[in-house]
Amino acid sequence: MVDADFEALYREHLSRIYGLCLRLTGQPALAEDCTQECFIAAWRALPAFEGRSRLSTWLHRIAVNTVLTQRRRRPGDALREAGALDEAALEWPGSAEASGTLDVEAAMDRLPQGARDVLVLVGVYGHTHEEAAAMLGIATGTSKAQLHRARRLLAQQLGIAMEAA
Amino acid sequence: MNPSRFNTLDAALASVPREVQPGHDLWPGVARIIGHGAQGVPQALWSRWPLALAASLGVLSLVGALCWSVVHERVTAELLAGRAPAGDMHSIAVSFQRPQDADYVAARTALERTFNERLAMLAPATRDRIRADLETIRKANADISSALAQDPASPLLWQLLRSTWQQEIDLYTTVAQTTRTMLTRRT
Repeated sequence: MVDADFEALYREHLSRIYGLCLRLTGQPALAEDCTQECFIAAWRALPAFEGRSRLSTWLHRIAVNTVLTQRRRRPGDALREAGALDEAALEWPGSAEASGTLDVEAAMDRLPQGARDVLVLVGVYGHTHEEAAAMLGIATGTSKAQLHRARRLLAQQLGIAMEAA
Repeated sequence: MNPSRFNTLDAALASVPREVQPGHDLWPGVARIIGHGAQGVPQALWSRWPLALAASLGVLSLVGALCWSVVHERVTAELLAGRAPAGDMHSIAVSFQRPQDADYVAARTALERTFNERLAMLAPATRDRIRADLETIRKANADISSALAQDPASPLLWQLLRSTWQQEIDLYTTVAQTTRTMLTRRT
């Protein structure tokens, strides 16, 4: 693939990859770094791409891997690691009223990391639990449990009855 | 509870845009790196080089040890006898980013040609052993490529893959250097 072809691929998938990185990191600058690294990694990996999955799924896998690598590289630094604290805050009965301006994205941003990761991949980007689990390096059952947890917490934040959720 | 404009959580999630444009064009940064090879790779990408190097050495140390043991004795003997030109011991540095790079392809083709020509000058047992080493390197390359297909973003696997390319080049170079002393003696 020549540079022009790769740039076309980049243009086609940029907004979706950046969106995914932004949802996973919650930080625009970091999401930009991850997006750049994702496409650089994709360029290097193209010769090994065997077409056994859709290109978009393959790129998503690289993007998630890049974000996870960033987390390991910068523990407790730029990426949020306050999952337990977030959950405690979310489960406090008055938290929703106290943050009345929360929209869906802000509520997602406050979810514990593991729950948010699965919600983004499965709930927003439509991956299967098997795909999400493979990308995140977790068991499929864990993915399902995290999604349930994420939906419960998000519904609570948004004031949506869990029955309707 | 906070009153929501969404009736269901699925409706709320459906409202989240899947596509978001970054604040500025990221392509120049990507193009700079993929256009300039390894030198342009951000420092962070290379921060795990020691780990990758250790792993690659673990995978390929046997090959290196075998190859080195075969040829090192010969070169050392030649040097002690004062017959080997000093230049023969200089390593040939071949930098490459991907195997399609022109520099890599040209260097590899030239070295492989010399390697095949010079291999015939070695004793059959030595020749067989070097061929076996080369096969091991190529097998490692194939295995790592397969692993990369499953985990294409793994920096460690990419470093290992690069190590196999370099090991192949090193093997060619070592044989070429070693047999060059034999050619010098003949002339």
